Amino acid sequence: MAQMPALIPKEVEIQRLKKIYLMVIALGSIAASVEVDNFVDGSLHQTSIRDSAFTPAHWWLYSHFVALPLGWGAIAIYDRKVPILRGPNNSMNTGLKMTILGYLATMFTIGINEMWHFWFVEEIFAVPNHWMFNMGVVVAFIGALAYVVRVYARLVELGAETPGENPYIAEMYKMALEGKLYSRAIP
Amino acid sequence: MTLPKGFGSAGGEGATSADVERMIGRRVENMTGIITLAYIAAWLATFAGTAAGYFYYPWAYPTNSGHFAFIVLTIIESIGYIFCIKVSEEGTRKNSNVLMTIVLGSVAVGTLLIAMYVGW
Repeated sequence: MAQMPALIPKEVEIQRLKKIYLMVIALGSIAASVEVDNFVDGSLHQTSIRDSAFTPAHWWLYSHFVALPLGWGAIAIYDRKVPILRGPNNSMNTGLKMTILGYLATMFTIGINEMWHFWFVEEIFAVPNHWMFNMGVVVAFIGALAYVVRVYARLVELGAETPGENPYIAEMYKMALEGKLYSRAIP
Repeated sequence: MTLPKGFGSAGGEGATSADVERMIGRRVENMTGIITLAYIAAWLATFAGTAAGYFYYPWAYPTNSGHFAFIVLTIIESIGYIFCIKVSEEGTRKNSNVLMTIVLGSVAVGTLLIAMYVGW
């Protein structure tokens, strides 16, 4: 297994990657809370339609979309201490970039949403002001998954995590670390 | 290995174990206390948030809905708490299972009591 050269001592890198992992778990819990509130918000709108921007289900939903981009931004600040997580041209990791952009999109959509609802009380899922919520969250989830897999793969590479005991899964990890998981060169 | 400014000795020699410890700062396996406090704070904030809902907007957010949300969120937070402790202590000799059992048990009882007696 090709191991990337270490730019910082191994023990330091493992500790930093685990701190990133803890932050990701906290933000993952917040993201799970968004999913729950999706139903709460939906049931509120089915019963009381829309009264104002300040009903409890909206406090709950909107506060996440402020907390999530800020939390992932905090990860981006800490992330600079781990050289292996740099993105193209020494920029931010691509997965992390997607996550922050996705959640920022949802954050700004709150404003668009409230402006729309000033004139229209229609609350079905598919009205245009809601599109960006859904697309932003999907982009953010995809980016977060890519980032978490990168952090996890590096922990495996450093020997701090054990990949799956199933030999088929272990082989997939090995190929992913070598950049060959989706290569056409592998029959 | 290139070390950040202020680490290692002059002359470009490698990091000593003291340097490594300084670069690490507080180790994740020693963060059990702060993680536990953060979990309890998050749980209390969840109660406060849902309570604000059913005390101030009972017509839009009945107590039943508030307690349902409170219970589901408590479960989500508890799973996050378990993951955090397990990730921070894996690979070390530390073991906080007793602390986690006490904290999670107390939160479960507290959640049950709140759901039965508050806001009705």
